[in-house]
Amino acid sequence: MKKLIATTFLAAMAAGSLRAQDQTKVAFPNPGQPRKLVVDSMMGSVTVRGYDGQEVIIETSGGRSPARKRTSEPPPGMHRIGSNGGDVNITTQDNTIRINGNILSGPANMTIQVPVQTSVTVKTLSGKELLIENINGEIEANNMNGNVQIVNVSGSVVAHSMNGKVTASLNTVMPDKAMSFSSFNGDVDVTLPGGVKANVKLKTDRGDMFTDFDIKLDPTSPPTVTADKNAKKTRVRSDRSTTGSINGGGPEIQFTSYNGDIVIHKK
Amino acid sequence: MKCEEAKLLLADYWAQTLRDQDEMELEAHFATCPACREETVRLESMWKGLAALPPEEPDSKMRSRFYESLGAYRLGAESRAKKWWPLSPALQIAASFAILALGLAGGYALRTDNTSDQVAQLREEVTGMRQLVALSLLQQQSASERLRGVGYAFRAEPSNTEVLAALVSAINNDASVNVRLAAVDALHTFSGSPSTRQAVMEALPKQNVPLVQVALIDLLVDFKDRQARPELRRLASDESVNDGVKQRALWALETLQ
Repeated sequence: MKKLIATTFLAAMAAGSLRAQDQTKVAFPNPGQPRKLVVDSMMGSVTVRGYDGQEVIIETSGGRSPARKRTSEPPPGMHRIGSNGGDVNITTQDNTIRINGNILSGPANMTIQVPVQTSVTVKTLSGKELLIENINGEIEANNMNGNVQIVNVSGSVVAHSMNGKVTASLNTVMPDKAMSFSSFNGDVDVTLPGGVKANVKLKTDRGDMFTDFDIKLDPTSPPTVTADKNAKKTRVRSDRSTTGSINGGGPEIQFTSYNGDIVIHKK
Repeated sequence: MKCEEAKLLLADYWAQTLRDQDEMELEAHFATCPACREETVRLESMWKGLAALPPEEPDSKMRSRFYESLGAYRLGAESRAKKWWPLSPALQIAASFAILALGLAGGYALRTDNTSDQVAQLREEVTGMRQLVALSLLQQQSASERLRGVGYAFRAEPSNTEVLAALVSAINNDASVNVRLAAVDALHTFSGSPSTRQAVMEALPKQNVPLVQVALIDLLVDFKDRQARPELRRLASDESVNDGVKQRALWALETLQ
C-alpha cells in the first residue's frame, strides 16, 4: 500500500527540452529505487546503452534543419509559452524518465546512455535501427519499420518489429518473467542461455524454424520434425503453433513470425 | 504529522505492528484531526471484517496446482542467480499491498452499507481471486507482467465473461503487439462460447497490426466460423490491408467453404 500511495502522491514532475546535436544529462530522482526509461521516437534510429554511471545521457544528431533552428530571446518582462520545439522532450515522473521525439524536428537519431540496472521501453515508428545493449532489466522494444537488435542483456525481453528483423541475445533470464519475440516480415533470431527453463510456443507461416536447443515438443502440437544433420540444428515445421519445453519447462516464451524464419540459439 | 503520513501508518496501526513512537504520533494526530479519526474508525470495522472472512476451502485442483508451483519454484531456486533474490519477494509483497489497497478502497466505497453486506461482497471477491490475478496483471505497466496475466487467463473458467472481456480489450488496445498476440492465443481456450466468436468477429475489423490480424483469421478458421466469411471477404478486398493478411483471408475463405 505504501508503494501505491507513494506512486500516487509523490509524483514529481520535471521538464526540459534540448536542441540538435545536443547532449543532456538527467538524473533519476531515487537512484536506489528501480529505474525505468521510456523512449517514444517518431523518426530516426535509437540506441540505448547501459554504462557505468548513474545519470541518463541523451545525445541527438541530425535534428531540425539549421534554417528553422532559431530561438528568440523573450522580450523584457515576458516568458516563453511552452517549449520552443527542441528535438526531444524529457519528463521525469517517479523514477521513470520519458523521452519523446518531436515529430516537427524531422528524423533525429538518439543515443541514450543509462545505468546498466534500468528497465527500458522503446517505441519507434520509422527508426532504421533500434539497438539496446548492455542492460540488466525488463526490456520492451517496438520498431515498426526497422530492425530491433538487443545485445548483451539480462532480464526479460518483449520485442516486435513489423517489417524488420528481431535479434536478441540474453546472458541471463529472469526466472519468473514471460517473454515474447515477433516480426511480421522479418526473421526472429534469439539467443538464450543454455540452462534456460521455459515453455516455448513457436509459429511462422512462411518461414522455417531452427534451434540447437533440445526442445521437448508437446504431444498435442502437430509438427513434423526432420533432423538436418548438415546444419546441426533440428528443423521444426508446422502450420499451427508448435509448443514444447526447454530444460523441463518454465515461464512462457513466444516466438512469432509470418514471412520470416525463427532461429533459437543456445548460448 | 500530516494526514497523508497518517494514512500510510494505518495498516500497521490496526495490525498493531507499529513502533511505539509512531503509534504515539499517530494518536496525537487523531486528537487534532477529526477527519482522520472518523475515517480510521470506519475503516477499522472493515479491517476486522476482512479478518473475519472464512478461509477459502482448497479444492483438489488447488492442491495439485500448489505442489506444481512449489516444484517449479524449487527447480527455479536452484538455478536462480543471487542478484534476482530480492526481486521476486518484493514483487509479491507489492502485489499483496495492491490487493489490500483494493479491498480497503472497495470497503471504503461501500461504507454506508452494513457490515454483513460488505463481508458477503468481499467473500465473492475472494472466490474470484484467480480471475482477479489475471485481470490485475493485465493492467500492469510491464508487458512481461501482462503476458503473465494472459497466462493466468488461459487457466480461468472458459465461461468467465470478465476475463474474456479483458482478453478482447488486450487484443484491441494493448500497447504491445506481443501481448495482443498472446491474448489471441488464449482465446483458443474460450472457443466453445458463442460470445467468444462474436468478440473475435468484432475485433478483426478494429485490428491494424498485421501479425495480430493473421492470428485472428487463424482463430476464426479454428472455430470453423462460417459467419466470418463476409468480414474475411472485406479484408481480402481492402486496399489498405497488408498483402500477407489479404492472402491469409483468401486462404481462410477457401478453408471455410
